[in-house]
Amino acid sequence: MNSNTKLRWGDLYPELGIEPIPTEPCISPEIYQEEIEKVFSKVWLKVGRVEEIPKKGDYKVKRIEFAKTSVILMHGKDGQIRGFHNICSHRGNKVVVETGDETYGSSKAAVVTCRFHGWVYDAKGDLVNVPEEDKFTACFTKEHNGLTPIRTQVWEGFIFINLDTEGTQDVEAFLTGIGAHLGGYPFHEMDECFAYNTVLDCNWKVAHDAFAEAYHVATIHAGSFPNVFASGLQDVQLLGDHRTCAVCLTKNAHPKPAAALSSEITGASLVNHYERKQLPKSVNPHDRDDFSFELSVIFPNILVHVTEGVWFTHQFWPISHDKIRWEGRYYLPKAKTYSQRWAQEFAQVLQRNAWLEDTATMEDTQAALASKAKKVMHLQDEEILIRHGYHVLEQYLNRQ
Amino acid sequence: MTHMISQLPTDFTMLEPFVAKWALATSKQRHAERLNSSSIELQQFYDVILPEMRHLLAALDHYALGELPEELYKLYWLSLSFAEVAPHIELYKGSVGVPYAFEEKRFIYEAGDIVNL
Repeated sequence: MNSNTKLRWGDLYPELGIEPIPTEPCISPEIYQEEIEKVFSKVWLKVGRVEEIPKKGDYKVKRIEFAKTSVILMHGKDGQIRGFHNICSHRGNKVVVETGDETYGSSKAAVVTCRFHGWVYDAKGDLVNVPEEDKFTACFTKEHNGLTPIRTQVWEGFIFINLDTEGTQDVEAFLTGIGAHLGGYPFHEMDECFAYNTVLDCNWKVAHDAFAEAYHVATIHAGSFPNVFASGLQDVQLLGDHRTCAVCLTKNAHPKPAAALSSEITGASLVNHYERKQLPKSVNPHDRDDFSFELSVIFPNILVHVTEGVWFTHQFWPISHDKIRWEGRYYLPKAKTYSQRWAQEFAQVLQRNAWLEDTATMEDTQAALASKAKKVMHLQDEEILIRHGYHVLEQYLNRQ
Repeated sequence: MTHMISQLPTDFTMLEPFVAKWALATSKQRHAERLNSSSIELQQFYDVILPEMRHLLAALDHYALGELPEELYKLYWLSLSFAEVAPHIELYKGSVGVPYAFEEKRFIYEAGDIVNL
């Protein structure tokens, strides 16, 4: 660093330090294991949206690879969503047959039935029917053999789970700060979801870090978003374990014909500024007219971006120290007309392309870091969210 | 020359030569076809459909979403292929793939097989 560099964010948050960041945590299987034990197995993790299981009796099963389990999220007759390990109390078969990382289903009676021997569980996890029950010994009772619950709570339509069987903190408390910041944004009004996923050969932090700054846009997005976004962040706030900032427009971009037509029809896109209708007051607090979208990180593994009429998320699920499942989801209001549907298709295709640009560096970064030729990475002031991420992580890992 | 049966409304006969290649019902098919094309093919399709887009969308908007008559399916699918192709002409200098990108075929679009109607 130049000794006289004035830091916009570093000076505000001196506790984060200014030193380079070690690369070891991105390549070490031992540190990865520690992260799984002390972070991912302890904190609240977003696993779905209520719109994915809207009706009573709907369920979603999501594989949680790092925990070697799958969670059944079931919408009960009482309207509550509960989570359970997808394993039968009988001989341990998966109750719901999974067709991939995410499996959806629906049951009018709001029950799931193990296809091995037909054991039936309701949405509260209670074991309600066992074929040939009278042939089991006195050691067995239905009452004590429900599904194994996983703590599951909903915040603003996001379904979170917590795998810590001894944990007592509610999701609201976990989200303190960031919850207040983003709360009230009408996530549910934009329920047309364009979802992408892939498996990437990189550490979860390499993927997270690639998305958590705007320094890369001039180079990485020279194709899809030329001269659209400013590299400098605005209104950075570090909120406990979480963090947020605004990404702004250069206002020098000239939309090409198809992009212009799409923006004109939808009246919502990342490349234009729109008057405040949906954003909570704490987002873009000074009503900057170059505001594009809010980039928020909910620790440890999800980025939530909100703006007028569009929101999107990136989530990084660790599989091993150098492998993740990435999920990108782009949410728009349901189209009302064919022209709106076309405009959404264009916006979504362009966003996909930008994400293809984002993900392009990740496996190369991982492969190069594995050489151990560089022991540290250098962060500039506008990469403050990344620095904060390592800072928070270190605090978790230092806990006994 | 074989006799061609018109597959589009009369206002859009200029798009007839693109029906076989680009009137594709799913996102996955349109994506694969773009990767399977030459720059020249992308440019030819773009040049002809761009000036028609407003008129085309207005024609689709005569119908409520989800109630498009079958004879307009191909026109609709052409417009969706235009959304797939346009960035490659307008932003990527005619490159058929997204430049400097992750392997496109490894990106899974969860609604990729849904028939757009």
